[in-house]
Amino acid sequence: MTQGAVEQSFRFGNTELPPEARDAARKAKRLAWLTIAFLVTAVTLVYLVMGSSQAMKAAWAEDLLSFIPPIAFLVAMRITGRVPTERHPYGYHRSVGIGHLVAATALLTMGAFLVFDSVSGLLAGEHPPVGLIVVLGHQIWSGWLMVAVLAYTCVPAVLLGRAKMPLAEQLHDRVLHADADMNKADWMTGVGGIVGVLGIGVGLWWADSAAALFISASILHDGVKNLRSAVAALMDARATTVDGSEPHPLGGAIDETLRGLEWVGSAASRVRDQGHVFHVEAFVVARDGMPTQEQLQQAWDAVTDLDWKVEDLVVVPVDELPEELLPGLRGDH
Amino acid sequence: MTGWPRGGAGPTLLGALGVVSLAACGVTVPTDPDGTLDRVRGSELRVGVSPHEPWTVTTDGAPTGLEVDLVEGFAETLDADVVWTSGGEEELVGDLERGDLDLVIGGLTASSPWTSHAAVTVAYVTVTDPDGKPEGHVMLTPMGENAFLVELERYLLAQEVEAP
Repeated sequence: MTQGAVEQSFRFGNTELPPEARDAARKAKRLAWLTIAFLVTAVTLVYLVMGSSQAMKAAWAEDLLSFIPPIAFLVAMRITGRVPTERHPYGYHRSVGIGHLVAATALLTMGAFLVFDSVSGLLAGEHPPVGLIVVLGHQIWSGWLMVAVLAYTCVPAVLLGRAKMPLAEQLHDRVLHADADMNKADWMTGVGGIVGVLGIGVGLWWADSAAALFISASILHDGVKNLRSAVAALMDARATTVDGSEPHPLGGAIDETLRGLEWVGSAASRVRDQGHVFHVEAFVVARDGMPTQEQLQQAWDAVTDLDWKVEDLVVVPVDELPEELLPGLRGDH
Repeated sequence: MTGWPRGGAGPTLLGALGVVSLAACGVTVPTDPDGTLDRVRGSELRVGVSPHEPWTVTTDGAPTGLEVDLVEGFAETLDADVVWTSGGEEELVGDLERGDLDLVIGGLTASSPWTSHAAVTVAYVTVTDPDGKPEGHVMLTPMGENAFLVELERYLLAQEVEAP
């Protein structure tokens, strides 16, 4: 197994990516860098015009937090490329889960802080002052500038999110999925902020804190959702689709494939999501006695041919399917 | 964040449309939540002045100084009479927060500690402080009375102020 730097970036540990996944990985990396570049402009612009608006502060915090997922993705992509070693026999795939956990914790903490901040602003009846700003010799009400900047931050985020979503599914990358999901929903932050600023404009002082509350609640919501799915994956929950909504179809496909083999009487497996790739333990009961070496090899080949995500596979011949290792057999979920 | 749109996006959009249409129907932007500008116009401007020579001088009789002149000029554009209250900064900022004053002056700068209690105008003049750093001189208005704030800022920016 060669470990050239170029080749490394297109593999997940021992798993060589098929060409279409390789393209997806390359594209996703490019989009992550593009996201970072966009966020630099957004964070700078929002900071320059935010003044005393709570809603702008929340929007700024969200833009700052949005740096974490693409950075976590790029770091995880580098680390998962490493080939397993004696010390790390399962490879480095879990770095995806760790990146996801870090991103989710940051969102949760910041969301909770901002909810508290905007609620106390609302309760204290804080009236945000928004005055004039002189730009290139023109005096304009800063509110208009805030609206313009927020409107700018809406568009690229949504486009980036839409572009990343299919790649996240293809690469089975939860960090990328979380990132795309947040980007896609980013327009609501922008619109929420705009409503808050225009609210200040027409003399509704509470509109700003209310908009800030809406934005921070959405950050908190993102945090809780991502924390749940990140923890579930790190707890070796049954492998799910990348959004965590349902069991991954490969789980069923593996069992089907094994049961479809002539010599197999019954078969069941447990599958955990390592991040990008799965770790599979498949138990097979042969129709008559002990399967031959060829039969076991045939079973291994049949399963690993299903998908590039399934390469870390052990096939265990048993007399009887072990219920204690396969709780699904007992009907426990 | 999927799932959130169902709860939030609809009302947000409606809210946005509502605010935009309000703005389009002749409400001036920005507007004062408590109507300070409308109340002052043609009536009286209640100003707190804290001594800080040469910006404000309160030693004998009516206050004088560069900022006092600026405020008198501003009151004139609003057709209002200035009612002066002199005192310490903390006391005056307290009155401003309670709505007993409309404006506080006293040679204050943009780095004043009062900025979390009052709205700060744009700097109407910038001077160099003893450490050699530029320092913008400002006035304080009530929090969130943005029409009044902007009216004052427009007046201040239109003046050619020379640092004393």
